[in-house]
Amino acid sequence: MKTVLNEQNRRNFVAQVESMLHDKLSKCYQCGKCSAGCPVNFEMDYTPNQIIKMTELGMEDTVLNSKTIWLCVSCNTCSTRCPKGFEVTGIMDVLREIAERKGITSKTEKEVQMFHEVFLDNVKSHGRIFELELVGKYKLKTKHLFRDMFLAPKMLEKGKLKMHGETISNLNQIAKIFKDFE
Amino acid sequence: MSRIGVFVCWCGSNIASTVDVEKVREEAAKIPGVVSAVDYKYMCSDPGQNSLRNVIKEKNLTGVVLAACSPHMHENTFRKAAVKEGLNPYFVEIANIREQVSWVHEDKERATAKAVDLMKMMVEKVKRDKPIEDVRVPLNKKALVIGGGISGIQAALDIANGGVEVILVEKEPSIGGRMIQLDETFPTLDCSSCIMTPKMVEVNQHPNIKLYTYSEIEDVSGYIGNFKVKIKKKARSVVEKDCTGCGECWNACPMHKNVKSEFNINLSERTAIYVPFPQAVPLVPVLDRSVCLHFKKGGKCQKCFDACGPKCIDFSMQDEIIEETVGAIVAATGYDLMETSMYGEYGYGKYKDVVSGLQFERLLSASGPTEGVIKRPSDGKTPQTIVFVQCVGSRDPEKGVPYCSKVCCMYTAKHAKLFAHKVHGSQSYVFYIDIRATSKGYEEFVRGTMEQDGAVYLRGRVSKIYEDNGKLIVKGADTLSGNQVEIAADMVVLATGVIPKKGSDKLAQMLGISYDKYGFLTESHPKLRPAESSTAGIFLAGMAQGPRDIPESVVSGSAAASKILGLFSKSEYEVEGTISSVNEATCVACFYCQRVCAYNAISRKEIKDRNGNVVKVVANVNPGLCTGCGACVNACFSKSIDVKGFMDDQIYAEIKSLAV
Repeated sequence: MKTVLNEQNRRNFVAQVESMLHDKLSKCYQCGKCSAGCPVNFEMDYTPNQIIKMTELGMEDTVLNSKTIWLCVSCNTCSTRCPKGFEVTGIMDVLREIAERKGITSKTEKEVQMFHEVFLDNVKSHGRIFELELVGKYKLKTKHLFRDMFLAPKMLEKGKLKMHGETISNLNQIAKIFKDFE
Repeated sequence: MSRIGVFVCWCGSNIASTVDVEKVREEAAKIPGVVSAVDYKYMCSDPGQNSLRNVIKEKNLTGVVLAACSPHMHENTFRKAAVKEGLNPYFVEIANIREQVSWVHEDKERATAKAVDLMKMMVEKVKRDKPIEDVRVPLNKKALVIGGGISGIQAALDIANGGVEVILVEKEPSIGGRMIQLDETFPTLDCSSCIMTPKMVEVNQHPNIKLYTYSEIEDVSGYIGNFKVKIKKKARSVVEKDCTGCGECWNACPMHKNVKSEFNINLSERTAIYVPFPQAVPLVPVLDRSVCLHFKKGGKCQKCFDACGPKCIDFSMQDEIIEETVGAIVAATGYDLMETSMYGEYGYGKYKDVVSGLQFERLLSASGPTEGVIKRPSDGKTPQTIVFVQCVGSRDPEKGVPYCSKVCCMYTAKHAKLFAHKVHGSQSYVFYIDIRATSKGYEEFVRGTMEQDGAVYLRGRVSKIYEDNGKLIVKGADTLSGNQVEIAADMVVLATGVIPKKGSDKLAQMLGISYDKYGFLTESHPKLRPAESSTAGIFLAGMAQGPRDIPESVVSGSAAASKILGLFSKSEYEVEGTISSVNEATCVACFYCQRVCAYNAISRKEIKDRNGNVVKVVANVNPGLCTGCGACVNACFSKSIDVKGFMDDQIYAEIKSLAV
C-alpha cells in the first residue's frame, strides 16, 4: 500500500489520538511484544504494533477501517507485557471511538461493532450490564433472533439472566466518565 | 653429550585422566641422552618448579623438556626457573600434551602414544638447541604523532604530559580534524569547539610538543626506537613566527567569492589567503597558490603583501624537508566521508537541498556559513520538514561498503534533535534500518529525539528522491507497517558513512603497517592489542582504525600514548631472540627474503675487505623489526637463512624422531 504523508493531517490525527489516550505514540519501541502475545492476532488484518505505527504515520483511513480494532477483546495481555508501559488496549478503544464518531461502519466486523455499541449503551443507562436487555437489543440489531437460544435456560438456571435490571445508585458518576471521554 | 631432563606434568587430572603419564615418563627414560625423567602432579606449582631446579642442579642438565600445558601458559614460568640454575632460557622446550592431547582426545591409549611422540620430538629439538641471547634495541625517546584530530591531539598531549618530546604533524593548515567541524556532540550536546579549542591551544603552547601544520610525512625508515622521518613542510607563503593572525591579508584578498571553503564543505566561499576557521591553531593563514592571482597572473596582485603590517607574506617560500629521529610513532590519520555520487536516486549534487551529514553539521554550527541558523542551500529559507536518510553508503555491499559506520545513528538523532530545538514546530522524519545506540546514554538520547522532540522514525530505506513543486519528494518504505511512504520535504540529509582518510593506505605502506581491504589500519590483535600496529613501535589511534565516536577516539589516543610512555620507561627495548639469522658464507644475495618480508626487516649489507672494497653483498636482518615469522626461511633458495631456535636441523630431527 502506498501512503502519501500529509504533515498537517498526520499531526491532527496523532494529536486527537494522544489526547484521548493520555499517552504518546512515539513511546512505542515497535518490538512487537504486544503482537506476540495477542490471543486474537491470528484473525487480525494488522498486528497491534502495526496499528500503533500506522496511527503515528497518520494513516487514519487504514486504521479506522481495520478489522484489528474491532477484533481486540481488551484482554490487556499487551498492555501488561509492554516494556514501555504503552496503552495498547487503550489505543484500540480510542480508535473504535473515533470510528464510531465518524460514522464508520466496519465492513467485516459489523456484529462486533453492533455489540460494542449496545454494550456501551447498556453501561451508560444502568451503570452496569442488564443482560436480558443487552441480549434483546443485540438480537434486534443483528436480526439473529434465535441464534444461541439454547443457552438461555442454562443461564437462567445459574441465575445469570435476571428479569429485572439493576441500576447503580451513582449513575451521574458513569455519566461523568462518558462525558470526560467525549 | 646432551644431558636432558624430561618432566611430565599431570595437571591434576587434566592430563592424567586421558594420558598415561607414567608411560610417557617411562618412554622418556629410554631415549638416549635423557638422564632424568619424572612425573609430577603440578609442575607449575612451587614444589614442581623446585624439583625442576633440583634436577637441573643435581644432574647438571643441558636441556629441559616439559610435557605439560601450552607454552602460552607456562613457558615463561619454566624458563625463569631454569635461568635461576644458570641455564639459557631457550634450553627449555615444551611438549604441549594438554591443549593438543588430553583436552582434544578421548582414547587414552592413542592419546598416550601421541603424547609420547610430542615429547620425543621436543627431546630431539632440545638436544640441538643453541644458546640465544635476547636482542636489546636502544630507544630515541621522542614520539611522532601523525594527524592532528582529536585522537592525535589526545595522544600528543598525553605523551607530552608524560615528559616526552612529541612531534605532531598535520596535513591541513590547522589542527582540530573532523571534530572541530562538528556543532554539538552526542549524547550530552556539548559544543564541539568549546571542548576542542582548549585542547588545540594546549597543543600549540606545550613545551614538549613541536607542531607542524600544513605538513606531510614524506618518508619513514628504520625501526622501533630509531625511526628516521622526513616531514615535508609545504610552503605556506606566510612566515609563521612573524604572523599575528590579524586578518588584514585575507580581508584584502580580491578572491573572496570564487573558492569553495573546504572546512564548510562547499557551503561557503573563502579567499585565496585564508585560515580555515576563526579558531584555527596556529592562527596563521595559508596562501592557496592554485587560486592566488599573484601566481596565476604573473605577480601582479600583491594586495595581501601590501596589507600585512609585519610583512610576513613571502611569495618565494619553498617547501621544506625536515628530518627527525623518533622512537615511536602514532598513526591517527582519521577519516573521510563517503562519496554519494553512486546514489543517483538520491540526487545529491543535483538537488541543492540534499546535503550530507557533515554539511548539515556546518549548517547547525554557530561558526558555520549560516551562523547556526538552519537555512537550506537553495533559497536560504528555513526548512520546516527534513527527511534524514541513514545508512547512505554504509551497510550496502553493492554500491558502498558492507560495514556499519557506527556514528550515523547517533549524529542523525542529534541532527533531528537540534533541528527541533532550533526550528519550533518543525518536523523530522528518519529512515533507518536498525538503530545502533550502544554507549552510555546513547539509547536514552535517541529515545528522547523520538519521544520529546517528536522525530518520526520509519524503519526502511529510501528508494528515490525527486523534486516536485519546490518540495523534495522522498519515496521510502515503512517495513513495520508494510507500507510505501511518500513524504514531501524541504530538505534531505544523507547520513553518509565513513571511509579511511584519502592517502592513508600510502602512509601505511610507508610505515610498513598493515591495513584491511577498506584501507583501515589493522591492529596487531583486534581484542588484546588494539593500540598496536603490526610493526613494533608504531601505534594506532582514532578513526584510522575503523568507525568510532569521539569518546572512543580519545580513549584510543590515550591508549597509544600510554603504550609509548611504557615503552620509553625502559632504557632499551628487549626483543625475543628467536629471530632470523643469515649465514653470510652461503647467502647469494638474491634477496627473495627481502621481497617476502612483511616487516621491512631485511636490508642489503656489503662485506668489505680491509681496503674498503666490496667483496660480497648479503642479506642482513634488522633485529628491531624481525618478528621471527619465518617467511624468509621458506623463500631462501640457498638455505642460508634460519630462525634461531627453529633451525632446519632441529625441525628435521623432530620429524626423524617420529619415524623410529
